Amino acid sequence: MPDALEQIFIEVRDISKAYGGVQALSGVSMTIVPGEVHALCGENGAGKSTLIKVLSGSVTPDAGAVLVNRTPLRVGDVAASERAGIAVIHQESVAFPHLSAFDNIFVGREPRKLGGLMLDRARMCRETRALLERLGEADAFDPAAPVGGLSVAQRQMVGMARALSHDCRLLIMDEPTASLSERETRVLFNLIRQLKQSGVSILYVSHRLDEVFALSDRVTVFRDGKFVATHVTREIDKEKLIQLMVGRELISTDARLSDTSFSRGVHPARPPLLEVRNLTRASAFRDVSFDVRAGEIVGVAGLVGAGRSEVARVIFGVDRADSGEVIVDGKRLAGGSVREAIEREVALVPEDRQHLGLVLQLAVAANLTLAKLNSLTTLGLISSRKERALVAELMKSLHVKAASPAVAAQTLSGGNQQKLVVGKWLASRPRVLILDEPTRGVDVAAKADVHRLVRELADQGMATLLISSDLPEVLAMSDRILVMRGGRIAGELSRDEATQEKVLALAIPGGSETAGAGAAA
Amino acid sequence: MTDAPAADLSLTPRQKIFEGGFPYWHEVVLALLLAALMAVAGYLDPRFVQPSRQLMLSTHVWELALLALPMTFIIVTGGIDLSVGSMIALSGVVLGLSHEAGMNIWLCCALAILTGTAAGALNGVFVSFVRVHPLIVTLATLSAYRGIAEGISSGRPLSGFPENFAWLGRGDIAGVPVAAIIFVVAAIVAGVVLWKTPFGRSLYAMGYNETATRFSGIRTRKIKFILYAMSGVAAAVAAILLVGRRNTAKADIGAQMELDVITAVVLGGTSIFGGRGRILGTVLGVLLIHETKEFVSWYFQNDPLIPLVVGALLIVAVLINSALTPRGRE
Amino acid sequence: MTTLARTESPGIAILGLLKQLARQREWSVAALIALTIVIVAIVNRDFLSLDVARNILVAAAPAAIVGCGLTFVIVTGEIDISVGSLMGLCAVAMGQLASPSYANLPVPAAIGLMLLLATSVGFLNGLLVTVGRVPSIIVTLGMLTALRGATELLMNGRWITDLSPGLRFFGTGTFLRVPISLWTTGVVVMASIVLARDTPLGRRIYAVGSSPSAARLAGLSPNRIKLFAFTLTGFLVGVATLVSVPQLSTIESGIGAGFELVVVTAVVVGGTSISGGKGAIIGTLLGVILLGMVRTVLIFLKLGPAATYWERAIQGGFILLAVLIDHLSRPRGRGEEEHA
Repeated sequence: MPDALEQIFIEVRDISKAYGGVQALSGVSMTIVPGEVHALCGENGAGKSTLIKVLSGSVTPDAGAVLVNRTPLRVGDVAASERAGIAVIHQESVAFPHLSAFDNIFVGREPRKLGGLMLDRARMCRETRALLERLGEADAFDPAAPVGGLSVAQRQMVGMARALSHDCRLLIMDEPTASLSERETRVLFNLIRQLKQSGVSILYVSHRLDEVFALSDRVTVFRDGKFVATHVTREIDKEKLIQLMVGRELISTDARLSDTSFSRGVHPARPPLLEVRNLTRASAFRDVSFDVRAGEIVGVAGLVGAGRSEVARVIFGVDRADSGEVIVDGKRLAGGSVREAIEREVALVPEDRQHLGLVLQLAVAANLTLAKLNSLTTLGLISSRKERALVAELMKSLHVKAASPAVAAQTLSGGNQQKLVVGKWLASRPRVLILDEPTRGVDVAAKADVHRLVRELADQGMATLLISSDLPEVLAMSDRILVMRGGRIAGELSRDEATQEKVLALAIPGGSETAGAGAAA
Repeated sequence: MTDAPAADLSLTPRQKIFEGGFPYWHEVVLALLLAALMAVAGYLDPRFVQPSRQLMLSTHVWELALLALPMTFIIVTGGIDLSVGSMIALSGVVLGLSHEAGMNIWLCCALAILTGTAAGALNGVFVSFVRVHPLIVTLATLSAYRGIAEGISSGRPLSGFPENFAWLGRGDIAGVPVAAIIFVVAAIVAGVVLWKTPFGRSLYAMGYNETATRFSGIRTRKIKFILYAMSGVAAAVAAILLVGRRNTAKADIGAQMELDVITAVVLGGTSIFGGRGRILGTVLGVLLIHETKEFVSWYFQNDPLIPLVVGALLIVAVLINSALTPRGRE
Repeated sequence: MTTLARTESPGIAILGLLKQLARQREWSVAALIALTIVIVAIVNRDFLSLDVARNILVAAAPAAIVGCGLTFVIVTGEIDISVGSLMGLCAVAMGQLASPSYANLPVPAAIGLMLLLATSVGFLNGLLVTVGRVPSIIVTLGMLTALRGATELLMNGRWITDLSPGLRFFGTGTFLRVPISLWTTGVVVMASIVLARDTPLGRRIYAVGSSPSAARLAGLSPNRIKLFAFTLTGFLVGVATLVSVPQLSTIESGIGAGFELVVVTAVVVGGTSISGGKGAIIGTLLGVILLGMVRTVLIFLKLGPAATYWERAIQGGFILLAVLIDHLSRPRGRGEEEHA
């Protein structure tokens, strides 16, 4: 590795790119050497995604050049980037949901026969099998089935197979573990290490600093579209990295010890606001029971696919339970109606905020008031005075960074969008708040803001259910932690006894795969 | 880095809440086009723009205009209703048959409205509760409703309506056609609903992102159901006006009307993908199409030219619209 | 998971199997066709004859031919509702080019020019959708109206009756006792199936419909692929005109009115998803046959002279039935977000 630093595979030189008036990248430069895992860090809006798009050819930079083995790459040309061996696995993992794994891997570069007219299916099968074997997952799934039915991890596998199929030399991974369980993440890390062994370079973009330290050889930090620094990962620590990313010292919520303000006792005296009794939805989870008291934050940990989001969806009335009941403030919900849940003052901040949480094209103001329009009317018409007042109040208490409340929500950064989703519910003051992965893909500063908000709401007496795959977050925020495994509640830990190790021990089907599989069926 | 200061919140409602800047340019362009058309028409043949002539020609527009109102709502939510013409036929035939069976004419009208409402509600059930794409549902009922109209009437023309009934389609109050009064009242109500009420705001939100809207506690399915049912009501009212005007009900009335209605709404600036559109634009779109048609027919005395011009107008208007919209916004 | 089978009674298992079948739209349409044939045959034995079958197929041929192209268009996530008006324009153009009382060109030249016209209009649709960025429903709605107007302008209320025998052959001629139109349909359908399943282009058409953004990232050009689908559809409208219109004794400007509805309906009934990415030629073919047999069935059911007035009502009912079957067989629950 050290001698590999001598030969540079890819050099990014003074790349700039502006969208409209916003300078996404200004004169950034960096290098990637063969066989390294190079982490790219920075808050949302730092320019990471834009750099990825430049490298993959889907965006043409305004200035600057990309050199591959010292020869300039034709920028803004997806095909040229592919030829140079650059492949991207996106956050949402590139996939044609209706097509099979075969087609997903080869589309655009199909093996042909009969003078190039026909697909060579035999070869596609053969090569797919070889690729999956190389990834060590030969019989993970049926490559002829539509990938829409595969898990996120499997889809990522398809993405990697696609990358490998055209002799990829640089694999760019954008938040690859965002939707993966701990076990799947470990599989992914092994794959990355194998690829590295075979000389493939990896540009690894992640908000999860633990992963950056676990995986990467070097780390580059961007801030506000500018290059900040590149370090050998071994030579810096987490605090230093965070400092580089935000440009100032920051009280980290990841570091549990600094959270003294958040550690409070449980409130046994307060009545439970949300009671879930033997809730079962055959396809996702069964026999789930728990309470959340007023003012309490209950964390829900577990692997992806353990049934956590599904429980949230049933409580919020998106899906119907097969049996069991949800009781809010002593009264039972009929279930199956979002409207009913909202009328009983239950709110959900969904996992997928871009599609379920916000109407991206509507203004910030319209998003904030959407859940509360009926209370803003005079004689049935929306009163602009009332609406303005509410929006002003919310934007202030949320610290939303937006040019004006009239700009579309899609122009905001991920963190600020997430604040809008929380703020939408803040307006209607729900009694039960369910947060599903509230800080995924959110930068460090906004994450702290969201944490502060959730804590404030709880202090005002809200019962909060916090579903998160970010273990440090769950540990730092929760008064109690429920751990789900294979559709059941595997255990409950109090704030004091909970540690990362204990949670994981409960969450991972420790060798006894059968228990998990049985419950999932 | 600045928290938006409270003083900066000068949102004039709805206008700034959406796009910012002057939001009515589409309506301005339409109004200018309409003015230009009338100016040219007046220059070529002053008789065309005489109020009496315009009033006479306007009898052709009210049904179309009435149907364009619910259609605007529906397209704003990202849906479409292709079955409006067939619902006119069905309601009209029901009106004719029940009158032929000797029922009181006003009872017949009530029955026709009931039929239209039921037909629209069935569309609504399929769209909102069976959750089938509205293009498919209304394509099916476009065939089905006209088919039922043909079936129950065996394709016969039904006529012999009483004179007081014809007043609805042909009569006037102080010189203003009854149909026009019905339309203007409906348009004002529709405009205010879309502009200023939570219901209207929900339609825009639904048009952009239905699931997120539902997750905000808005009853999107119920709203969609109401919209399609309303479209049926409007079709039934249009059928009554149309039958009253022509004094005949037949299974082929309102044929291809859906095309004119959708053309008018889209020309009026409503996005076919949902999320954008206003009643004012729709009214201008209706007027532009109406005047174009009437003028071509009047001046060139050549009816086949009308569809050619209207079709081209639609494509060119949307082409210009998309050329003016910045790229990269799906 | 195999654990399911253990707990289920045979009855539920059979129901599950039926649901599985219903999920494959081809099967439910095929079952509907079979059921219809059985019922009509019980009422009227004469229905089961080769002549009847041939008549149904010949009548369905143009929709099948155009349906192949339209399936590709809809798979890419677009739509073309101008095919009926284009067919009218092609019919009139072909008639005028070949007719002695108009241009009186040799038959091959007339056919060539007509096919060129059809292909060009398809190409223009594609250009407006891709380069012009006008939604396809708008472009083809405009074309639906405009082309009909152009056709009426060309004919000016007259008819063409003196169609040359050379042209007639394509409508009424046979080869090995099978009508030319059926041969043509067979070739088009087979070619489309091969295109969809076994060629890179076919796979790319599905890829573009499945996810346009991912397609772009994979280095495909959605615009070029959509342009191809629209152009192909235009060309196939020309082909369909060639093998169906000469069957008529006269050519007038109303030919093909409402044809777009039959074709779109058939494609959708055949299981092609209106939101793109999914669909099969064989489903379209079955959809065309199902809708095409309604009129014949009504005649053979001997329900009296008024029965055929119900044809359109029944066709519309079939679509609703097909989507209802889909709805009932759809797995419950998470399907909240998307439409059929």
